[in-house]
Amino acid sequence: MHTPDGFLHPWMAGAFLLLAGAVLAVAAMRARDSLTEYRIQLFAVVAAAVFAAQMLNWPIPGGTSAHFVGGAFAAIVLGPHLGALAVALVVAVQALVFGDGGALALGANIWNMAIVQAYVGYAVYATLADRNELLAIVASGWIGVTAAAASAGLQLGVSPGFTGEFFAVVAVMTVGHFILGIGEGVLTLAGVRLLDHAGVESEQLQPEGIRA
Amino acid sequence: MSARSFARTPWQRRSLAGLLGLVILAPAFAWAAGQTGYAEPMGNAAALAGAASEAVPTSISLFSGYALPGLGPHAGTLGGAFLGTLLTLTLALGLGRLLAAGR
Repeated sequence: MHTPDGFLHPWMAGAFLLLAGAVLAVAAMRARDSLTEYRIQLFAVVAAAVFAAQMLNWPIPGGTSAHFVGGAFAAIVLGPHLGALAVALVVAVQALVFGDGGALALGANIWNMAIVQAYVGYAVYATLADRNELLAIVASGWIGVTAAAASAGLQLGVSPGFTGEFFAVVAVMTVGHFILGIGEGVLTLAGVRLLDHAGVESEQLQPEGIRA
Repeated sequence: MSARSFARTPWQRRSLAGLLGLVILAPAFAWAAGQTGYAEPMGNAAALAGAASEAVPTSISLFSGYALPGLGPHAGTLGGAFLGTLLTLTLALGLGRLLAAGR
């Protein structure tokens, strides 16, 4: 899911850097009023957990590998604004410290993994949570990561290196992650439940969002 | 904030233990990924379009991968996972404090 440098046209990389920066600035303004000391610590734990979980690359029979992305998980636990900021921080550390994902492509990667996945995932969760929370959490991770992949596929599809392969690239990214996304949904559920068992839900105040 | 003050309550201690567990698993998954050589869907899409060679390594990053240099693949990955997780935890605490102070 991490787009390296060289895949995107420079204008597109720049545009997504500006776009992602603007959305995160709004997210920061919306999130800061809810920041108690407890939520700051939870924000740090969730961001660190997303980083560590993304290092676990699962080999999938059939020749594909995948890792947990965590945008929906962060959004469910923290609320969408703080969740997006947590994953954006992870994506920035991955690119600037470990070279995973391009520096020029940083805005596009934040857009896909932090913003699209967190907000789409949270919208799915908020829509379904009253009916069936377990299903809502799984669907949130599943659809969130598929939307993020579709966004990345669209970016690649209109890029010079992928000329003439627009539909194939979008299809490989979207269908591939739609299938792998079941795992994202299950891991999102596992992450939320593990935090519940750690005692997070019983101790936290819930000023933003449904759970967070 | 020191590590001791962060681990005051049960949820904090359990969360830190969970993070440590994920960090310890990282070398096993890196080994498995190396054994299979499987690519993520984006790698498959790039190969399909003949664009895989267009990827340019990021030159401004501190390291060129998750395995810290000079430690071997397994210890290096463990070190990278530990460093990255600790760095993310610390930066997120700082960012959270900064945002809270600015309201």
